[in-house]
Amino acid sequence: MNKMIPALVWNPRLQLFFRLVLGITFIYASIHKIIYPGKFAQIIYGYGLFPSELINITAIFLPFLELFSGLFLVIGIYKDSAALIINIMLTVFIAAISINLIRGHEFDCGCFSAEITGYEVSSVHLLLRDIIFLFMGVHLFITESKSNDD
Amino acid sequence: MEKRNKMIKELSVIVGLSVMAGFSINYFSPNGISYIGSWDTASGVITAKAKNDAVVREREIMDVKTVKQIFDADKTVFIDARPYKEYEESHIKGAVSFPPAQFDERIEAFLLNYSPSISIITYCSGRECRDSHELAQMLIDSGFSETRVFIDGYPLWEKEGYPVE
Repeated sequence: MNKMIPALVWNPRLQLFFRLVLGITFIYASIHKIIYPGKFAQIIYGYGLFPSELINITAIFLPFLELFSGLFLVIGIYKDSAALIINIMLTVFIAAISINLIRGHEFDCGCFSAEITGYEVSSVHLLLRDIIFLFMGVHLFITESKSNDD
Repeated sequence: MEKRNKMIKELSVIVGLSVMAGFSINYFSPNGISYIGSWDTASGVITAKAKNDAVVREREIMDVKTVKQIFDADKTVFIDARPYKEYEESHIKGAVSFPPAQFDERIEAFLLNYSPSISIITYCSGRECRDSHELAQMLIDSGFSETRVFIDGYPLWEKEGYPVE
C-alpha cells in the first residue's frame, strides 16, 4: 500500500492526463478573450479589484499568457515553467473570486467566454473548480520538476 | 543554480511570446482596444475604448433633469435596452422594449412603426451598462440618426421619482 501511493502520484499517465486537461482548458479559455478584448476588459473591471490603468493591458496580455502556457503544456515543452505560470494565474483567480465572495460583490468570472452573462454560475462552484485545477497544476509542477532533475 | 537559470529562461520565453503576440494582435485586430480604457463612471458609460466601440460620448446625456425635460416635451421615443424581464417589471412610462440582443429579429417591425426622422433616447441600467450604447449604434446604422443615450438609465429615473409603469 505504501508503495502504491507514490507509484500512483508519479504515474506518467496521470501527468499526461493533467497536462492535457489543464492545457486544453487554458487554450479554450483564452480564445474568446483574444477575439473580444474589450468584453474581457469589462469583465476584469467587474471584479472591482484592479486599478483602472492596468485593466486594458491585462486584457491584452493575459489571454495570450493562458494560450501559450496551455499550448506548451499540451505540446510538452517547458512543462514545469508552463505549469508554474498556470499555478500563479489560478492562485490569482482563486484570490479574486474569494475576495468577491467574502464581500458579496456580484461579478462575471469570464472564465470561458468574454460574453458578459451575468451572475449565472455560482462563485463557490468556480472556486472549487479552480482549486481542483490548482491541485493538478501543483502536482504537474512538482512531478515535472522532479523528472527534469532525474 | 543551473536549474533556476533554465526556468528563468523558459518563463521569459513564455511571457515574452505572450507580450509580443498580445500587443501585435491587439494592434491589427478590428476588435483591438486602447492601452488605457475609460473606467471612471464620472466620465460616462465605462468602456475599454475599442476600435469599433459603440460608446460615443457625444451621444450621452448625463443630466437626468435634461432627460425629464425631453420626456415632458413628449416628442421623443424612449427605448429600454434592458432584458425584457426587467422591462416587464418596471420601465420609464411609455418606453418601448428593444434589447440589442434581439435587434435582428425586431428591427423590421420597428421600422414599420417608427420613421427614421424621430428623436430617440435609449437607456439601460446605468453607467456600467453598455446596452443602451450598443442599441443606439445599431439604430443609427439603421437610419435613426437622432438617437441619444440616457446614461444613468432606469435606476436614477426611478430614484428621482419620475413617471414609471
